[in-house]
Amino acid sequence: MKRITRAALVALAGLGAARAEGQITTVVAQPKRVEANAQAVARRQEVAQDSVARVTLTGMKQWVDSAAQSLALRPDTGTAPSETAVPATTAVPQRTDTPTAASARPAQTPEFRDGARAPDTATQLPMLALGGAVLLLTGLVLRRRDPARARVRVRG
Amino acid sequence: MTVGAFALVGSGASVARAALARDAARTRWAELEAQRAATGARAKVAGGTGWAAAPGSPVARLLIPRLGLDEVVVEGVGDDALRAGPGHMTGSVLPGEPGNSVISAHRDRHFRPLGGLVVGDTVITEIGTGRVRWVVSRIRVMTADAPALHTTATPVLTLTTCWPIRYFGSAPDRLIAEAVPTL
Repeated sequence: MKRITRAALVALAGLGAARAEGQITTVVAQPKRVEANAQAVARRQEVAQDSVARVTLTGMKQWVDSAAQSLALRPDTGTAPSETAVPATTAVPQRTDTPTAASARPAQTPEFRDGARAPDTATQLPMLALGGAVLLLTGLVLRRRDPARARVRVRG
Repeated sequence: MTVGAFALVGSGASVARAALARDAARTRWAELEAQRAATGARAKVAGGTGWAAAPGSPVARLLIPRLGLDEVVVEGVGDDALRAGPGHMTGSVLPGEPGNSVISAHRDRHFRPLGGLVVGDTVITEIGTGRVRWVVSRIRVMTADAPALHTTATPVLTLTTCWPIRYFGSAPDRLIAEAVPTL
């Protein structure tokens, strides 16, 4: 009986492992931080400086615009409207493909359109049947190999 | 052993459910044919070329005499529809009408005989309005992600299933068979 139980457990673990690979992952070591070479560091600093400069410029533009408004001067927006500073409160467009939105969407069956893929007709049924048959046969073989123990179990 | 028994029972139950659904579809089709109500049950989609019918309801009958295939085609290619029989892909025209009519089924059930399909085979479709004879003109095997279905101006019947037919696991390819009406 113990053998059968052990075999069933091994089979279960084998089947489960294929489905839940991520759940039996051991400790994942943190990737070692490799110090960049001097050139990379210099480049990073350069980029940081660029961003600082950009931030400063944006601030300058806002300041100029606000100053123009306060002085009741009409800024010449006709020639270059795109240069007007974008207010910081501009709303960021919401992503529609968030997990919540996706889960709220009803399950759709594929519909025909030009260039569509062939419908997914793949099933796991043959695999399930084969796996079941193999496991069942393995179990039967394991039982037959130890008939004495099985008899004792029946008597007990 | 217990797990194996469960797996076998599960797959057996799935096959049994498919057989029951198939019988139900056949019965329903026979009723529809007798009452000549098949055409009345469908409504043409406004502004489109496709047809609207309730998912799972029988829309046609498909025969391939050489392969002994005789199935009732149901609307839609969802899991429930494909359990009952080959599914007519929603949005495609009905067999015999101008355009591409797409019918799909599982390789391990209704379209198992499609593995033996060859160019030149005769396919027969029946809808409420009539019977059309087709001849298979092209058979292709494409990857699952490939754009395999296209609109056409003339009547085309496209049969699709998974490929290879005998394959354990999720089959990676698709069998695309196209047929044109015989004159």
